[in-house]
Amino acid sequence: MKHPRPDRRQVMAGAAAIGGTALFGGSAYAKGSVTAAIYPGSWDEQYRSIVLPALKKAHDVDLALEPLFAVDQIAKAVAARGVAPFDSFVLDPGPRVTAIERGLLEPFDGKKLTNASKLAATGIDGWGAAVNSQIVGIAYNPKKLPKPKSWKDLFQEPYVSKLGLTGFQTTFGTVSLIEMAKAFGGSEANIEPIFAEIKKILSKVAAVTPPAALPGMFQQGQIDVTYTNTNNVSTLKARGVDIEFAMPEEGAITFVTTLHIAKGGENKDNAYKYIDTVISAAVQEALMKSPAGLLPTNKEVVLAGDQPIKSLDELSKLVSHDWTKINPQRAAWIERFNKEVTK
Amino acid sequence: MVASQARTPAAVATVAQAEDKVGWGLASPLGLAYLAFFAAPLLLLGSISLFEDNELTKLGFANWIKFLGDPFYVGAIWRTIVLGVLTVLAATVLAYPMALLFYEAAPWLRRLLLFIVVLPLLTSVVVRTFAWIVLLAREGVVNQTLLSIGLSPVPLLQTQHGLVLALMQIELPLMLLPLLAVMQGIDRSLVEASRALGASRWRTFFKVLLPLSVPGWVAGATLVFASATTAFISQSVIGGGRLVYLPSVIWQQAMVISNWPFAAVASIMLLVSVLTGIVALNAVGRFIDPAGR
Amino acid sequence: MTRRVTWMDASYFAVIGALTLIAFLVLVGPVIVVIVTSFTTSASLKFPPPSFSTRWYFDLFDPVKSRHIHSAAYNSLWVAAVATAAATLLAVPAAMAIARVRTKAARTVEATFLAPLILPTLSYGLATLMFFTLLGYRPSLWLLTIGHLIVISPFVFRTTVASFTQLDPVLLESSASLGASRFYTFRRVTLPLIVPGVAAGAFLAFVASLDNVPVSLFLSNARTDMLPIRMWGMIESTLDVRVAAISTVLIVSVVVLTLVMERLVGLTRRMGG
Repeated sequence: MKHPRPDRRQVMAGAAAIGGTALFGGSAYAKGSVTAAIYPGSWDEQYRSIVLPALKKAHDVDLALEPLFAVDQIAKAVAARGVAPFDSFVLDPGPRVTAIERGLLEPFDGKKLTNASKLAATGIDGWGAAVNSQIVGIAYNPKKLPKPKSWKDLFQEPYVSKLGLTGFQTTFGTVSLIEMAKAFGGSEANIEPIFAEIKKILSKVAAVTPPAALPGMFQQGQIDVTYTNTNNVSTLKARGVDIEFAMPEEGAITFVTTLHIAKGGENKDNAYKYIDTVISAAVQEALMKSPAGLLPTNKEVVLAGDQPIKSLDELSKLVSHDWTKINPQRAAWIERFNKEVTK
Repeated sequence: MVASQARTPAAVATVAQAEDKVGWGLASPLGLAYLAFFAAPLLLLGSISLFEDNELTKLGFANWIKFLGDPFYVGAIWRTIVLGVLTVLAATVLAYPMALLFYEAAPWLRRLLLFIVVLPLLTSVVVRTFAWIVLLAREGVVNQTLLSIGLSPVPLLQTQHGLVLALMQIELPLMLLPLLAVMQGIDRSLVEASRALGASRWRTFFKVLLPLSVPGWVAGATLVFASATTAFISQSVIGGGRLVYLPSVIWQQAMVISNWPFAAVASIMLLVSVLTGIVALNAVGRFIDPAGR
Repeated sequence: MTRRVTWMDASYFAVIGALTLIAFLVLVGPVIVVIVTSFTTSASLKFPPPSFSTRWYFDLFDPVKSRHIHSAAYNSLWVAAVATAAATLLAVPAAMAIARVRTKAARTVEATFLAPLILPTLSYGLATLMFFTLLGYRPSLWLLTIGHLIVISPFVFRTTVASFTQLDPVLLESSASLGASRFYTFRRVTLPLIVPGVAAGAFLAFVASLDNVPVSLFLSNARTDMLPIRMWGMIESTLDVRVAAISTVLIVSVVVLTLVMERLVGLTRRMGG
């Protein structure tokens, strides 16, 4: 009985092949194109209206955007097992670490970017380029509630009965819950306090929802306060929703979003052109001024609009996290959150 | 003429023969398609559930033991079945009155009724979910209406009864269509005889119409149960995070945590739960109407 | 005695009337909300709308602003059309093979062919993703079409079986006894009689494919964007009003199609099957 390990997968594939035919091979894409994963919603919308034409104009490359949250990108790429479903990832720090560990990313060569020098020194590394800084804090309805001051406020009236809770599936959800845990005496390593607090308020909160349903709930007045990033707040505000951003006194959270080249992607060169276009000053400025209000990483861009900070230097004063410590615990947290909030 | 007459007995024989033997040749194209793209993926799903790790290298029952040994996941199976049963009950309570109205109605009204019944099937599930947020939210249409007639608002969104209400909208047509088809065929003279013998309308319904319409109800209830237990988007948005059903476990394990084997276990449990529910529904049908199929 | 019966009947009508009214509200309420919302002036999905306009319809039909919606709609229509055509070609012969057979084997075959209707499509969606992934195929419209084909075939199969069962065997026998070949009998006698049933099934299959979420959720990507998945993405974080407009357009076109089908083949009579 000899079962060489790697062969099992081939056996599985072989079993699957019984049903397969050569009818539908990998589809051939047009020469000048690139498929990039993008966060759903405002990112998708703004990249479609700003980056897509810019890339076409500068390099004559067609951009196809696939809206997926970071974890979904990882899941799809892992699921694809070597056949990259898109050419470029857009990732937050946590999923980025996962993607590197799982070998989903192509090593990144910053020299291929003409705009590389315009980013901060930390903006480019061996795996990708930073394209946006995010700030996470509290979002509330100014017509219904006074401005919240601290993470702890969310757990008391008048906020708690209007609160929309969301779990650890998203980066903003994860870091917010960690900061709340800290506010109640916990740490990155020990988030026990937040589960204890959630348990206490669970019967009072207005909603526990997947992140995707938060905007709809907010708009229709089911919830009036939640935690999210400035981009989401700007987008909804631009659409006439009564929503404002508040920095908690414990400190708002910041992290950078990075673009990466997928290992096994079909259009690597075009993916570099795509990333170079995104970090160019003109595109970064347009993205910042768009309804999404995406904070730039290109130092040449002068901050404008109603950003909660006046200059990119202030970002260093905000809270950031060590994702190598968070990642190993995250799957367990997701499961734990499910179990704790279930009646 | 003579030639064709000579062929006649044989031709009649082939037609008659087709009555008691399955035409395997005709059935095989669809059969093969099912084998390749239905049976094979499901078998694969079963095989994947027997791996212990996500890279599919180590065989074992670890994920089955984890799933079945955890009260949370077993609870999710139970909750999913209960959701299906509640939706079937709710749909039944609303479907029968409509079916009775249909039974009594003039042809033009029948058409109108059918049209209204089919309408929800034409509304995209995605948008319907949004519509239910609008209707069920804290300050939504239903609660505003309750307030305006002097009642106090009730929480609907993110509750099980709210979810059952929302699911009912899409499931009701699935129950009504087969029910109406059967009702249409019920002999009117039976109802008239019952009334002529002095039975009230209630009695006529319970003793005549209900038993005769059971086959239609079983067919409809089966579809409702199957559809309600797997309605992922409605469950997660309208039911919310506090009510975890099997489909959201499947989604999370497959797409968020990307643990394929565990997702496969959850999928198979969903399959088993739905099939069990359907077998039970058919048993109920036979109990009410032993003469039925 | 008579008075008591009257009271009983009154309560019967009251209960039936009240429940029917509730059923109407439940069925029609959300559809009205969607249609009304699509005519809002507000920049996001909001009900009730502050005031009314058709601006979102202009946006929806704008070839530049809504390019990605148009391509998703095109993909969805393409998949629905091809899958429906394939389902019809496969399911009609299959239905013919068993419809008039009374054996146990025939019932088993029938149950098998109807199975996708009652099995959880989410489980099936995941299974197809694993299946095609392990085979090494990139997501494509063909894979989506295959996934949809399996899910929608039972609709055509079911209505076609019903048509065959209602077929009068005397007609077939007399055609045969008059010397017609089997093929001729099929083409000139059977086919015209089953066409309405097949068409009703194909219509239901088409609509089911167009609105399919569970299979598309797992199998679609940027290049094979499907309309319901795109709409879900649009609602997700931007509450895009165009979603309500798309839905209204879909409702209206399907309603028109339904009315046409009703005229031609008596659709509603056949859906119960």
